[in-house]
Amino acid sequence: MGKRAILLGNEAIARGIVEAGCEVAVAYPGTPSSEILPAVAKYADELNTRTAVEWCTNEKVAFEVAAAASFAGKRACAIMKQVGLNVAADALMSVAHFELEGGFLLMVADDPGPHSSQTEQDSRYFAMYAKIPCLDPSSAEEAKKMVFHAYDLSEKYHIPVMLRPTGRVDHCRQDVELGEVLPLERPVNFKKDIRRWVCLPAHVRLNHPKLNDKNAAIREDFEKDFGAYNYEVPATKEPKLGIIAGGVSFAVIMDLLKTLGREDVAVLKIGTPVPLPVKMVQDFMAKHEKVLVLEETYPVIEMQLPDRTKLLGRWNGVVPSAGELLPEVVEEILYTALGEERPLSDTSELKTALEELAVKPKPPMLCPGCPHRASFFAIRKAYPKGIYPSDIGCYTLGVNQKTVDSVICMGASVTQPSGFYLAHKVDDKDQPIIATIGDSTFFHMGLPGLVNAVYNRHAFVLAILDNSITAMTGGQPNPAVGTKLRKGDQGRTVDIRKACEGCGISLVKEVPSYDVAAGVAAVKEAWEHAKANQEPAVVIFKHPCMLLRCDQPAIPVRVDQEKCIGCKFCINFFNCPALRFDEEKKKAYVDERFCVSCGVCIQVCPHGAIVESGEEA
Amino acid sequence: MQYVVVGLGGQGILFSSKVLGHVALSRNSHVMGSEVHGMAQRGGSVVSHFKIGEYASPLVRVGDADLLLAFDQNEGFRNLHFLRPGGHALINIHEPQATENEHLQRFIQERKIHLHTIPGYDILRQHMGGRFLFLNVLLLGAMGGAKVSDITSEELRGAIEALSPEKFRKVNLDVLELGRAFFGS
Repeated sequence: MGKRAILLGNEAIARGIVEAGCEVAVAYPGTPSSEILPAVAKYADELNTRTAVEWCTNEKVAFEVAAAASFAGKRACAIMKQVGLNVAADALMSVAHFELEGGFLLMVADDPGPHSSQTEQDSRYFAMYAKIPCLDPSSAEEAKKMVFHAYDLSEKYHIPVMLRPTGRVDHCRQDVELGEVLPLERPVNFKKDIRRWVCLPAHVRLNHPKLNDKNAAIREDFEKDFGAYNYEVPATKEPKLGIIAGGVSFAVIMDLLKTLGREDVAVLKIGTPVPLPVKMVQDFMAKHEKVLVLEETYPVIEMQLPDRTKLLGRWNGVVPSAGELLPEVVEEILYTALGEERPLSDTSELKTALEELAVKPKPPMLCPGCPHRASFFAIRKAYPKGIYPSDIGCYTLGVNQKTVDSVICMGASVTQPSGFYLAHKVDDKDQPIIATIGDSTFFHMGLPGLVNAVYNRHAFVLAILDNSITAMTGGQPNPAVGTKLRKGDQGRTVDIRKACEGCGISLVKEVPSYDVAAGVAAVKEAWEHAKANQEPAVVIFKHPCMLLRCDQPAIPVRVDQEKCIGCKFCINFFNCPALRFDEEKKKAYVDERFCVSCGVCIQVCPHGAIVESGEEA
Repeated sequence: MQYVVVGLGGQGILFSSKVLGHVALSRNSHVMGSEVHGMAQRGGSVVSHFKIGEYASPLVRVGDADLLLAFDQNEGFRNLHFLRPGGHALINIHEPQATENEHLQRFIQERKIHLHTIPGYDILRQHMGGRFLFLNVLLLGAMGGAKVSDITSEELRGAIEALSPEKFRKVNLDVLELGRAFFGS
């Protein structure tokens, strides 16, 4: 047996990618997938492989880079989160029809819950839609093994293969066996062949039936040869219920049956939900009167079954159609399916205690010292009646500063202002619109919207919050940073200001985020310019993310209890975790447990009550 | 053993699950845990699960945890329902009078929960010049000192030694000892 190490699920997947001989690995970060690519770089360095490892500007770019590497004969992978696949969908739908050369792993992480996403969509559906196979791991260890099978399957059928872990697999920590790199020879060799590589309609008419044939053949393989992932755990007594389970729901139900000591439930594990080995499932169903289906998050196994009369699942409401299948949720479903009473656990005393003590869950908020907080405060101060479209990233938390009014998906902060502008223009109204976007998101999908706004002459201010990092997902570099993942790899910085100017923006202001007065002045100047010239203007707010822990002057602060009138302005509009309100004294105070002495709040209090506490410095 | 570690994003909860993992691996035990990354890490409520032994799923069911380790008092209270009857809660307390709430006491008594509290912030203020970053190591030390799991102070010491970055190793070990000494003799 090989060496075992405790790995995060994402590190286990990364290890699998390197061991399986992937030579081009690309990604755009997004929770819960973000830790995979840095770990690929780490293992590639450690195991001394030549693997190219790169962050791409977005998921479509990543998918296409990996696809072409596969055309050229290399094992490749594109890594993203579920909503990233929406961005890459155009390329996926097309490439699914191709007769690929090198193995192509499409690694897509789903986020049931959702914990850190704008949807809890099920990427297995996307696999079905694109007609590509999908593997659904139940644990970190299984996810690692599936990487190898995904590559083999991809090369057997010349098709992209999706590995779809959910966040609980990505972020589970488990002891996993480490192996060596497969000795593969995949020399680069792009064979020109327009039948294979050009998606002309005439070729699609030939390739689509072939794609259907591949799906039929893969389904047969899943029926017979994938016993490691599709297997039955029989009941030790006369079964009262059969359960079909995939992904982490399989692990949850197995632990639950053990804890409850149930010996009268049989479980069929399905690790290859698309295309579903239907015969295997039907054989299992034939042995049981009732069959429960547990899968996250959509009814993908369920929907592929021709006869659902015996099934207890989402179609008849036994399994909830939204939210994560946590152990206690699964327990409730299990008792419903068995037709038994669930033993009650009385938590009413705890509930009353929490109400009396006013204990509530704490929502996420911008970190103490976060430059975005200062930028949002300046934007709101400049135009309190502005419309504030925003984007996906830490700064979505600007809802707490009341400076985020609408968020759709990445890049939409640059396009929504156009819609707001036009809607007001047709009514002959001037409306200040100040949109916010981060540096990484700007390059992800902000550029097309900016070109559109310049071309069509839409007046608004785009505030680019440049914190020199992709912060929300844990601090990945991006084009504005210029660094790369593998040791010795040199990147090049893409200048945000020049990119804006190149798109035709005539006014670009740069201000330090912490300087609220400068921020207010820049936003006002930019809006006046935009209005006068009927064109977008840009303000770049610059300050490094607090997670980078760059050195900065410490300015310890306190609230002067004489001057504080208890108006809560600082709490309501600045909303720093370190500024709190004493309900008895009716005064604000600085909570030293959280304060990082950024000093920005001194500029916030309209009564000058927040002051530098010099004597403690 | 099933652990639930709760607190607020940024309190260093991920490091403590690394420490538990290191201990388990050096015993040759299987480990399964679940962590929180992404938006939820930004100062909000965070729940981390950790299981040592033969388990399939990384998640602890409500009512099954042997130990609740709480970096924040409110998060500790909110997650008491994770404990099995007779389980242990080790909570960093900053408003001690809250534990006297009569309904809270009744819930704790009904379930025979062993409640251990430590004024983590006060200790760090007094001994570490208010460097609250060390709260996670302090609580791990307290976990060893209070003997609330089968993990010993020596095992924790070994794990902290192995996992600490060079420049924090000595101070981490000192803080671990501070936590241990609060309960231990």
